[in-house]
Amino acid sequence: MKSLYKHILIIGLVVIIAAGNVFAQKNKKKTTRISVEYVKDHNKTETLVAKLRVKEKRYISLNDAIVKFYSVSDTSVLLDKIRTNKDGEAIFVIGDNPKIFKDSLGFMAFEVEYDGSTSLKGSNKKIAVKQSNLEVSFFQKDTIKFIEVEANEIGGNNQTSPVKGLKVLFYVKGTFSLFNFAKEKTDNKGKIKIEFPVTMPGDTNGELTIVAKVEEDDIYGTVESMGEINWGIPVPLVKEKQRGLGDTDAPLWMVYTLITLLSAVWFHYLYVIFMIIKIKLAKRSF
Amino acid sequence: MANKKNKHSRRQFFSKTVPVAIGTIGGVGLVAQSCQQANNDEEKISLLSADGQLVEVNKSALTKVPYKPVPPDEARKGIPGKHFVMVVDLARCRNARKCVKSCDHHHQLTPDRPFIKVLRMQDNKTSAPYWMPKKCFHCDNPPCVKVCPVGATYKRSDGLVLIDNERCIGCRFCMAACPYSARVFNWGEPKHQDGDRPYSPETSIPSQVGTVEKCDFCPDMLRQNKVPHCITACPNGALYFGDRNADSVTNGSETVRLSTLLKDKAGYRYHEELGTEPNVYYLPPVDRSFPFKEAPEGQPS
Amino acid sequence: MKLDQKSSKMLAYFTSQMVKISKPGMVWLAIAFVFILGGLYALIVQIIEGHIVTGMRDNVVWGIFIANFIFFIGISYAGALISGILHLLRVEWRTPIIRIAEIITVISTLIGPAYILLCMGRLDRLHHLALFGRIQSPIIWDVLAITTYLIGSIIFLYLASIRDLAALRDYPFKSKWRNKVYKILAVDFNGTPKQNRYLDRSLDIMSAIIIPLAVLVHSVLAWIFGMTLRPGWHSTIFAPYFVIAAVFSGTGVLIIAMWVFRKYYKLESYITKIHFNYLGIILMILGALYAYFTFSEYLTSWYGSETWEMEVLYKLFNPNEYWWWFFFAAIIGVVLPIIVILIPKFRNINSITAVSAIAVLALWVKRYLIIIPTLEAPLLPLQDMRPEYIHYTPTLIEWLLTFAGVALFCMLFFLFSKFLPILPVVKADEGNYAQLRKTAMKRVIKRKVKETEKKESEKIKDL
Repeated sequence: MKSLYKHILIIGLVVIIAAGNVFAQKNKKKTTRISVEYVKDHNKTETLVAKLRVKEKRYISLNDAIVKFYSVSDTSVLLDKIRTNKDGEAIFVIGDNPKIFKDSLGFMAFEVEYDGSTSLKGSNKKIAVKQSNLEVSFFQKDTIKFIEVEANEIGGNNQTSPVKGLKVLFYVKGTFSLFNFAKEKTDNKGKIKIEFPVTMPGDTNGELTIVAKVEEDDIYGTVESMGEINWGIPVPLVKEKQRGLGDTDAPLWMVYTLITLLSAVWFHYLYVIFMIIKIKLAKRSF
Repeated sequence: MANKKNKHSRRQFFSKTVPVAIGTIGGVGLVAQSCQQANNDEEKISLLSADGQLVEVNKSALTKVPYKPVPPDEARKGIPGKHFVMVVDLARCRNARKCVKSCDHHHQLTPDRPFIKVLRMQDNKTSAPYWMPKKCFHCDNPPCVKVCPVGATYKRSDGLVLIDNERCIGCRFCMAACPYSARVFNWGEPKHQDGDRPYSPETSIPSQVGTVEKCDFCPDMLRQNKVPHCITACPNGALYFGDRNADSVTNGSETVRLSTLLKDKAGYRYHEELGTEPNVYYLPPVDRSFPFKEAPEGQPS
Repeated sequence: MKLDQKSSKMLAYFTSQMVKISKPGMVWLAIAFVFILGGLYALIVQIIEGHIVTGMRDNVVWGIFIANFIFFIGISYAGALISGILHLLRVEWRTPIIRIAEIITVISTLIGPAYILLCMGRLDRLHHLALFGRIQSPIIWDVLAITTYLIGSIIFLYLASIRDLAALRDYPFKSKWRNKVYKILAVDFNGTPKQNRYLDRSLDIMSAIIIPLAVLVHSVLAWIFGMTLRPGWHSTIFAPYFVIAAVFSGTGVLIIAMWVFRKYYKLESYITKIHFNYLGIILMILGALYAYFTFSEYLTSWYGSETWEMEVLYKLFNPNEYWWWFFFAAIIGVVLPIIVILIPKFRNINSITAVSAIAVLALWVKRYLIIIPTLEAPLLPLQDMRPEYIHYTPTLIEWLLTFAGVALFCMLFFLFSKFLPILPVVKADEGNYAQLRKTAMKRVIKRKVKETEKKESEKIKDL
């Protein structure tokens, strides 16, 4: 009896919770979250990457939604409306857009906004960045090889000045990801000099790509620069094995053995067939 | 003035690859939801999302990702200059089985014949048990390739061992020859398959009855400079993937040098004495991230 | 074709038997036909559904189809080795049994490879073997070896039948189609000295070539298993072990077939106790050799006690798994024939046939035990929830196809005995052959004498 009550209670609870869920889903809009990042890649292309996500059990990307990009000063100017891709990202290319406002210090302020829909809440985010340049170069002193990085910021009237104390990360570019080998801050001249990692393998010519990166800096955002140099340890192309057990062509001894054996047997078969023909031809001779 | 940092994008790589899997299905699902009121009697399809949930989606809302897999003949040539390897850190595996699920999802496999198995290992009575994720080892001296009578399974210059299921005659000699039980056979007509896709040994889709299949290291992803699905699916970073020539492997969030990793953690290959020269390395289960917990009842390996 | 009195009598007897099928014969045919129909049904089911209808799964990828394959190729040894060796050695008592042995070879070499085809997942891609064949694969070795062997044994059987075919051609059958077919096959053989010489030379060549070929075929078969890194398979003695096992089972089947035809066609005066005794002794010697190989194989792996090897041995020696089968296959099936044949008191036609049957059955079980326990013991632990993935049990479909194979073997054998006398009727004219040899020798001697005479006369001239 007692257990029956318990069961009824549990079933009742489940029904209530389920019903509650149904109503909740009808009435309550889902929360969205938008984030934005300024990225300057190694081609010096500046973009704003807005990422839109929806709260389900956890945050998941929302694709095919319209994100508005504004340039913000005293008033907001709409720059563009861009749809998010399958990763939930809307990418706005800054370029030389005259609508973008730059203040006397060189700061640009942006706002991204998602309006929401019948089932989703809207969200927005602001960001301010200062443009900068990062240059990678290589030089050799005696036998030691160096990588040098120079960081400059662009002021309000487009004049450049070195950035000091900027954190720069150094990577070697791999097939799938970047391998971090150093982290350094710029000196008073906006420069960093580090030793080249001589044990790093390159491609067949020893060529490898060094990436210097400022990552999500409060002022400069993400700035990336690349340089190629043939200082890596060359990885020789392994000659494909020929005529092995695992290859298309068989080892020669195997081919010869097989041909010898088969031809020996089949030769005798042919000889015997020839004899049968001779039997047929020899019918009259006594 | 300054913006707050977004913590998620700190993990550069992770943010670029993981949500692809979750995002596609999740996004499609939501879009479908919003236009549901408009066309109520539209045809619906059920999809299995990467996290194992069934989502119902309007057929029209499904924007198919244009994908052009490499045809069988071209799939015989490896990606030049590469030699792919995998490293499995046994100390970090807690039998979460996310790799199995994402693999099943992307190869359109049913759970009864997965490419990846997570085995409960115990080397001897006194040693501690541990979980061992096992895929195809893509051996450099592959016993399966040696015995194939028609060259349907082959070794590529980039280290991959693939199967051309349009050539396979289904003799299963490769399965008998593989000491690691890496291969599965399509005993009956395969289920849940996207038959419209052109076949490629690089995707192993669609499967064909009477042919052999196995873990392929997702060469379609590798061609796009992305790691296989299982690597990014692992929540504990137990799986590393990379290029042996470049001496670097990544588990999605961190990139390390292969030689350093193997040296520091005493990496080994499973049953080295068989002479198969696998391309999957294991790091011994020492200083574990998780205490060993037995699998729940009824869970397949 | 001239026949002596004895041959004519035999021919008259066999031809009268050939044109009719007795009641027990009809029953036999009907039973065989039912089993073959069962096999056809199973074949259709398997083609439609795929191999899911068999008991084979991802671990045990090969089942009784492969066991049947080895079994049938094994019994084909009867003709190849027994008749080949007996012919070359000119053993007198071989005549009545040689045809039976040769027929066994041809039929079992036809049926055996069919099981490989049944095992293939994509039969529709058989031509890929020719298009993309890699000679590094033991399967290709097998394809080449078995085709060559099959053609060789057909030629051998045909050559040994030409004299009888000629006699049959000249026999007045009621139905004329027989004479037409025999006429084509007899290639105008009349028993002229020249024809006899060609025929005997061909027979010698074929029996000499069929022996190494048969050894090679079964070695290649063993290498399919031997070339893999599997316990119980990866063994250096596997090739000779398979060869011995094959001759052993082949001899067993030969004895059974002799017994059956002797009973059915009442050949007591032709196939006598001597034949059973001699073949029994051959069987005993082969059994001893086979026991020696078995002992050597299992002692080595047990003594070394490598973990992976022990897993297979544990299955074989575990009473809950394969012990009783192993006991039957490796001990009863070998020791019993040896004891029965060794002790003269036990030795008679029926007992020899009975132990042959036991040996043949044991050898089939042994093939099963070679394949399945090894596949059930993979290197990595088997952690599947599904029992059929852990333990192999043949399904009805597989049994139906197995019995259909046996039935087909019996039926073809029976039908063949209606086409050709089951015993050679016309004896090779060895007297005539000897005569030829004598005249040839005389010619050589004459020439030698002439040469010496010439030399001597030259010497005289020189002087």
